Amino acid sequence: MKIFQMQCKYEIIRILRNRYFVFWSLVMPILFYYIFTNVVNTNAPDKAEWQAHYLMSMTVFSVMGSSMMTLGIRMVQERSQGWSTFIRITPLSDTVYFAAQMIGQSVIHLLSIIIIFIAGALINGVSLTALEWTLSGLWILLGSLPFLAIGTLVGSMKKVETAAGVSNVIYMVLAIAGGLWMPLEIMPKVMQSIGKWLPSYNFGNGAWEIIRGNMPDWRNILILIAYLALFMLLSKYIRRKQEAV
Amino acid sequence: MNKIVSLTNVTKSFQHKTAVNDVSFTIGKGEVVAILGPNGAGKTTTISMILGLLKPTAGEVQLFDHQPHEKQVREKIGTMLQEVSVMPGLKVREILELIRSYYPKPLPIQQLIELTGLTEQDMKTMAEKLSGGQKRRLSFALALAGNPELIIFDEPTVGMDITSRNRFWETIHHLAEQGKTIIFSTHYLQEADDAAGRILLFKDGAIVADGTPSQIKARISKQSVSFIVDPELPLEKLFLHSEIDDIYRKNNRVYIQSSNTDRVLELLFQEKIGARDIQIERGKLEEAFEQLTSGAKEAI
Repeated sequence: MKIFQMQCKYEIIRILRNRYFVFWSLVMPILFYYIFTNVVNTNAPDKAEWQAHYLMSMTVFSVMGSSMMTLGIRMVQERSQGWSTFIRITPLSDTVYFAAQMIGQSVIHLLSIIIIFIAGALINGVSLTALEWTLSGLWILLGSLPFLAIGTLVGSMKKVETAAGVSNVIYMVLAIAGGLWMPLEIMPKVMQSIGKWLPSYNFGNGAWEIIRGNMPDWRNILILIAYLALFMLLSKYIRRKQEAV
Repeated sequence: MNKIVSLTNVTKSFQHKTAVNDVSFTIGKGEVVAILGPNGAGKTTTISMILGLLKPTAGEVQLFDHQPHEKQVREKIGTMLQEVSVMPGLKVREILELIRSYYPKPLPIQQLIELTGLTEQDMKTMAEKLSGGQKRRLSFALALAGNPELIIFDEPTVGMDITSRNRFWETIHHLAEQGKTIIFSTHYLQEADDAAGRILLFKDGAIVADGTPSQIKARISKQSVSFIVDPELPLEKLFLHSEIDDIYRKNNRVYIQSSNTDRVLELLFQEKIGARDIQIERGKLEEAFEQLTSGAKEAI
């Protein structure tokens, strides 16, 4: 148990010291939030609803990014620097190692969610019921699982530069096409029908439904679970292939 | 019951070649063993199998009578790999604290500092900002963090300057005195001779000699008699004498290898081959080592 606690503690310290993380997961989303709810006039019919909607978009954007990039790039770094090999010789079990990374990542996500929610409340006075805050926070925390699986896929790449580049592109494409930057409704029809099948849209839509007083759609949940299964299988397959040498 | 490491008929083949071929040996408690050999002799592959990083294609590796990957084995071993490993995002002190927490009876930080020569400044540095020498010291400290009974180093002194090298061997000596079992690989005969009580000499994936440094030296550095002789003269008849191990030409001289040089001199005169400028040579150790490990030499 002591090993697990230490491992979690240091995983969290490492993420907080990562400048990429602080910039992409905290500074950028809050900045975007400010710009698209205050500077740019979006002509939203219901201003308060738009402010809450976009707060969810940006929180989803933040957590999605750190799931894919922070985790993935760190995995590549550890492998390329020989750390993963060294760890295999220590008594630390794979399970504890993996669990600590996931827990560490989740604590960080929780922190990001709280910080961005607070920013929303401060910047625009977004007010939701306690239940809505909690449910949307929980949804974002759990909904990040398929993206963590993408993170492990990114983590199987050989070079840090490739991993950073590729994950950045996937991140941006998913964010824009999934309606996180601007709502899907204002996009062309084709984009809308594609977007509805992306994991990012389904991740975001759950939170958007919650702040409108609904529950996430079953469709959203099922699609996210399907993506999680797909990415996990893929990740496992790649890992097995790499180890076979 | 004091068998620490045992390899039984271990073979490791990769797609294109066999790196280790049917190797067997055991190492007892408190031994300091050098795995010696030129590059590509199978040293790193052997060490990787001992550490459980590679699975043997055939045969069995056991540490403390268990499989290398078992937790109770891992708790008793420490290692420093050729590729220096650092964990990005943490300071040296934090990495040491973290790794120490994996072991039931870790060495105190202060002792790790004393053993490895890490400075207070090093301790505060982020792992990814360390220089090559600092990384080596960190790796050494990580190897010792769990107070291991068996310590394994793969080419430990590569990239070390003379001072750190001396300091490293001093520490190894100190650890050996405490009864730790130590295995290290090297391609320097000198290093193996100075530090190890036993040498396993590897060549082309197999053990070609196993013994104390003086035994190995006696085996590989043969004495020889060298002389100048008319190049047209056939030397075949010398081969008929069993005392002569080998005959070869180098730089216009003929060399006759034998453990009994007196007898060779006697033969030279007996056979009346007209040898001039006769010298008796005690083979240079490094040279002999290279000869032994670098394949066949030109035969007459």
